[in-house]
Amino acid sequence: MRTQIEDVETESDHDEATIRLDSLTKRYGDVTANDGISFDVEAGEIFGYLGPNGAGKTTTIRLLLGLIKPTSGTAEVLGEDIRDRRALTEAKANVGYLPDTLGFEERLTGRQALDYFARMRGDERRDELLELFRPPLDKSIETYSHGNKRMLGIVQAFMHDPDLVILDEPTSGLDPLKQDRMHLFLEEERDAGKTIFFSSHVLSEVQRVCDRVGIIREGELVALEDIDDLLKRGGKQVRVHLAEPVDEQRFTTEEMIDVEVVDRTVRFTYTGEPAALLEHLVQYELEDVEIGDPQLDEIFKHYYGDDGLVGGE
Amino acid sequence: MTAILRNESGKHLRSTLTLTGLLVLLSAFFLVVFPSIQEEAELFEEVYPEYILQLLGIEELHTIEGFVGGYIFPFIWILLAGIYFAYISAGMISDDIRTRRMDLVLANPVSRESVVLQKVGALWLPLVVLNLALLAVLLTGAHLLGESIDLVPLAMVHLLGVPYLLVCAGIGIVFSVVLDRVETAQASALGLVFILWLVDGLSHMNPDFEWVGDLTPSRYYDPTAILVHEEYALLDAGILLAVFLLLLGMAVFIFARRDI
Repeated sequence: MRTQIEDVETESDHDEATIRLDSLTKRYGDVTANDGISFDVEAGEIFGYLGPNGAGKTTTIRLLLGLIKPTSGTAEVLGEDIRDRRALTEAKANVGYLPDTLGFEERLTGRQALDYFARMRGDERRDELLELFRPPLDKSIETYSHGNKRMLGIVQAFMHDPDLVILDEPTSGLDPLKQDRMHLFLEEERDAGKTIFFSSHVLSEVQRVCDRVGIIREGELVALEDIDDLLKRGGKQVRVHLAEPVDEQRFTTEEMIDVEVVDRTVRFTYTGEPAALLEHLVQYELEDVEIGDPQLDEIFKHYYGDDGLVGGE
Repeated sequence: MTAILRNESGKHLRSTLTLTGLLVLLSAFFLVVFPSIQEEAELFEEVYPEYILQLLGIEELHTIEGFVGGYIFPFIWILLAGIYFAYISAGMISDDIRTRRMDLVLANPVSRESVVLQKVGALWLPLVVLNLALLAVLLTGAHLLGESIDLVPLAMVHLLGVPYLLVCAGIGIVFSVVLDRVETAQASALGLVFILWLVDGLSHMNPDFEWVGDLTPSRYYDPTAILVHEEYALLDAGILLAVFLLLLGMAVFIFARRDI
């Protein structure tokens, strides 16, 4: 507690724009959607909240916004306790939110929907954002594609220039070009001093834009680390198809883990430098090579232990 | 902070105009049959069983006041408009929660109390439009039929009907914050308003059970008494208003504390 107070005093400007979770727990009957989750999101960072679908990411976000109440534990958003409804309501003037399911008033046009939100919290950056993200403003939202809805959602989340923006799966439904634009935009916003809380189930996306990542699985926070560490641990999934059977002992190097050899096919996770891997592989007669990003489940399996999924692969 | 009030009012516009058109047609139809009913009013009062007359609160059927108070208001106002207010109120919160619109609304710096109050406040639109439209139809209709109808009791029957409709809305809004499914909330609110109307009428039939009718809102709004006898039961209207505020307070209290 003392250190927290000191932080506030020494970095009062910076420390305001943070999220602090303290044993945050939400149970629905027997199901624990969030189980004692604790971590801090610091001012001016892009924090990735990574986990497979159904892990409890949206539950955490809805707790932070006061849409649901914690069973136990608590959290602070911009310095306000989420259990203090009044204070949290006021703090929301400085928070942007992009939900995973966008519940717009479908009969309105995009412009009318933005006007509606603007009356509640301002829209000083609306025009600037609409140059980057261009939903068809004069059409009614019922006619919008998934991607257009998402773009309208992005505009409404940022248009009042909040200090903190909470994004729940922000790039789902966006085509790759728009995803890249979104990623670039988030980096610029971070550099301009915004704090961004970003949930996703796509590892590569989180690796690309986030500074730090918290990984949630079955309601529990299983890892909290810098993205560089995660990248190191992540490694690459490699599958090599050789011309003839190979001796596993001879083929395997220190950087390979979880090596599986089936006849002439070798699968492993490579944790070293890509150049070294290629140099190693060309010593053999290769028929085919696949190098790809590991799936999120793979990361869990290799680094955080897993009871259920190992045998199921 | 009136953004929600504005938005919700706009939302009611279409259904209000539809219902107004419907009720205007219905009342016009009632008025068209008035001359023939007037001629046979006495026969009517003999033919109809006593309990039907009591159910509808019919008195002085051969006068335009008795006809409007006994036929048009019990049916169009107490039953149909009451059901409409209960129905739209029952959808106000539950529908927004289910479609996740509420997530986006509550991401704004607006309290849950304010959300409920602004949504209920938006009922001003159907209240004003329906009242004015029905008033206009009745005045025009009476004029065309060559009857004269006193403006003060007619205005009062509309004015004192507002607390009754608000109680129906209060029933709807409580269901809306308590029940998760929109359809269930709307069906429950609509059903309850209908049952209360029925119970009020039926309770007259048995003196032992007449007290049950005291628990129904329509007991506190008597169009025939207002139009025929010019009795303005202000206390009854006050009771209805108090019940509405109580229901609204309950809805706000529950909604502010529940998960959405």
